[in-house]
Amino acid sequence: MWRFVGRRMAGFALVLAVALIVTFAAIHALPGDPVSVMLSDHSADLEMASRLRAEYGLDQALAAQFAAYVGDLAQGRFGLSFRFVHAPVSSVLRDSLAVSPVLALSALCIAIGLGVLGGVTAAIHRNGAADTAIILVLVAGLSIPNFASATFLVYLLSVKLSALPVAGWGTLRQAVLPVLVLAIPSAAYIARLSRTFMLEVLQQDFVRTARSKGMPERVVIWRHALRNILVPLVTSAGIILGGLLSNTVVVETIFNIPGLGRLAIDSIFARDYPVAMAVVLLFVMFFGFINLAADVACALIDPRIRRGMPA
Amino acid sequence: MRIIRLLLLAASMLCVGALPGEAKTFRLNVVGDPAQMDPITVSEIVAGRILNNMYEGFTQTTDDGHNIPALATSWEPLAPGPGFRFHLRPGVLFHSGRPFTARDVKYTLEEILRPGSKGGIATSYLGNIVGSKAFKDGAAKDVEGIRIVDGLTIDIAFTKPDVLFPIYPIAFMDSGIVAEQGADWMTKVSAGTGPYKFKQWRRSVSVDLVANPSYWGGAPKIDGVSFLIVPSADTALSQYDAGELDFVDVYASAIRRVLRDDRYAKELIRVPRAQSTYLAMNQNLYAPFKDKRVREALSIAIDRPGMVKGLYGGGAFVLNGVTTPGVPGFWDGAPEIKYDPARAKALLAEAGYPDGRGLPPIEISATEASKDELTYYANQFQRTLGMPVSVKVVERATFIRAMNAGEVAFFPWGWTVDYPDASDYLQLMYQSASPYNRGRWKNAEFDRLMEQALGTPNDAARFALYARAEKILLDDWGVAPTPVAASVALRKPNVHNVTLTPLGFSRFDKIVID
Repeated sequence: MWRFVGRRMAGFALVLAVALIVTFAAIHALPGDPVSVMLSDHSADLEMASRLRAEYGLDQALAAQFAAYVGDLAQGRFGLSFRFVHAPVSSVLRDSLAVSPVLALSALCIAIGLGVLGGVTAAIHRNGAADTAIILVLVAGLSIPNFASATFLVYLLSVKLSALPVAGWGTLRQAVLPVLVLAIPSAAYIARLSRTFMLEVLQQDFVRTARSKGMPERVVIWRHALRNILVPLVTSAGIILGGLLSNTVVVETIFNIPGLGRLAIDSIFARDYPVAMAVVLLFVMFFGFINLAADVACALIDPRIRRGMPA
Repeated sequence: MRIIRLLLLAASMLCVGALPGEAKTFRLNVVGDPAQMDPITVSEIVAGRILNNMYEGFTQTTDDGHNIPALATSWEPLAPGPGFRFHLRPGVLFHSGRPFTARDVKYTLEEILRPGSKGGIATSYLGNIVGSKAFKDGAAKDVEGIRIVDGLTIDIAFTKPDVLFPIYPIAFMDSGIVAEQGADWMTKVSAGTGPYKFKQWRRSVSVDLVANPSYWGGAPKIDGVSFLIVPSADTALSQYDAGELDFVDVYASAIRRVLRDDRYAKELIRVPRAQSTYLAMNQNLYAPFKDKRVREALSIAIDRPGMVKGLYGGGAFVLNGVTTPGVPGFWDGAPEIKYDPARAKALLAEAGYPDGRGLPPIEISATEASKDELTYYANQFQRTLGMPVSVKVVERATFIRAMNAGEVAFFPWGWTVDYPDASDYLQLMYQSASPYNRGRWKNAEFDRLMEQALGTPNDAARFALYARAEKILLDDWGVAPTPVAASVALRKPNVHNVTLTPLGFSRFDKIVID
């Protein structure tokens, strides 16, 4: 097991190194000089421009800047933000660090709950009225993009009915709409997956055996069959969580939530290189961690995986 | 299920922060986070709008565009000039409770100039003070030209006359704050004399202020102000509709929609921005621009009322000059520039380019934000004059650098006023020595008049000189004035004594919420 985790970690370190180089190059290749952005309309103030350039190390060659950056990173320093005057990147990140993962994880929990319930129910009532109804909802949930569903829900629930706040972050009520909007497409996706997996499992011998032993249908479905769709679901949950994390960017912008996604966008527009770099690296680490966690979870559930045997 | 419950619990624990918007808090939106809350280093609009309610200068600008005394009650020229003696307002208290004195004025000016300090926009206002350079370079311990006479009197001497000094937006701060609160004081408290005190800044959420009950101009009648940080125009409008904002600053992308919606008619405020907008024609880079007739032809080929109606959907105002309404020193005598395509064609033919023949190809360029304007101009000049114009969109910072370097031939742009006096436009944008003279128009008489104006302390006399200078520029068709965008806001009917002015939000000290 430890060797398995070690192998995965080594691969992850490589990904991180590549991501570091690529993002550094990409961000610095963007047109626009951060000092000019800082000075905006007053960029003819050459004295101030050169002072700022020296203060942020921007007067050095790109390779030297990269070396300095990696050196700082190795010591756990992310440097100073360009956009927030004299604020260390760590303090800027601290304010938004937990927000996106909390959003994505809350959405994932709701999506799994709703999705499994919907998918299994549809599978049980295969080709019945309930199945058709659920499939209709699924198609809608999957095909409506989240900025559209967000606009609709805000108009209905916040502007017309005044039931929930339009935007903001800080109270449970403010979290309801964004989590819901984020969860809908994933819930639909999970429902589709669980329906398919369930239909497959229900054909198998052990289900027939369980039924023939006279077990109540409830127990057959929710105890025996459900367990067997867990491995593929957990594998997909990792991928889904990754997707949810990326989608927080959209939801955070619409609902004005101070998360990492919005921070990344704002920083890139402001040419705030240090913050943008840090956010991208954090995202890479989140993704790496999610994949690792999903692999380990599968290995724990199914011993064949950790022994390298085909599942 | 247990996991869901745990997560909801975790989410609700993140939510302990107080919700803005209880009872009598005035809630409005700003487009992004301020870069800082430090009055010394401030240099961008959002921070400026927030700090404006916590800090004050010698003077303040009224909603109708007059500069009146604030922390200085009066000032007179220094005996062996140039310079000023300022008499400070007695009985003013800082947010800490300490009294405002001449020591604080000296401290603030020195903080702005301090070597290694990050002096923001205010640095450029202090270059004329005697000894400021030596102090900035670390060669002197004090600024020679700043002398405390007594607790409420201070002398400031200049190397050359600067009659605008009293109106520069310098935010005077409490000299005792660092000793009391440490170097990062601005993350905890405010150190000004203004009607509101700093409460908290939740990054990307809001900046919250509370009323200062001991404000010298009278305590505000509301409990506080909450600046909600809302980058999206649509979200801000929805929040206003849902009653989560009392006042919404409508961003450009939503202005058309708001102007067209009858629901908003009674809550609408619309003023021209204090921004001098123009189409620059750099004579060094495109030979035909050297001919005044060509410049006139281009200017009268612009259908300004048509642009306001069509391109901007009513969200703009026609501008016939370079100074703008609401800014002290605005000249309202600029003659209307009539749209006259026939005369424009005739002028161009007279200059040797009938139907545009013989004109070398030219690019009209600006940033992404102005691409509609670019398309309009290119199309208009091509269609009415036969001028071979193509469109080029450039990244903002790169473009500003190129304009400052005088490397752009033909571009629409605007200059937002920094301090409340029309010389900010005339001197910075058109005097030949200014690095912000981006179109590189030059005129010796204009330079001389502006030089004279900046040595004339009397407002009326100075403004008359501005008008003469502006007339020279306009008569020479040195620039083509273009419509200035409107600032648009909505205000709930139960909110009073707050509005938009060309310079931004009015001050919030007299707001009443029913």
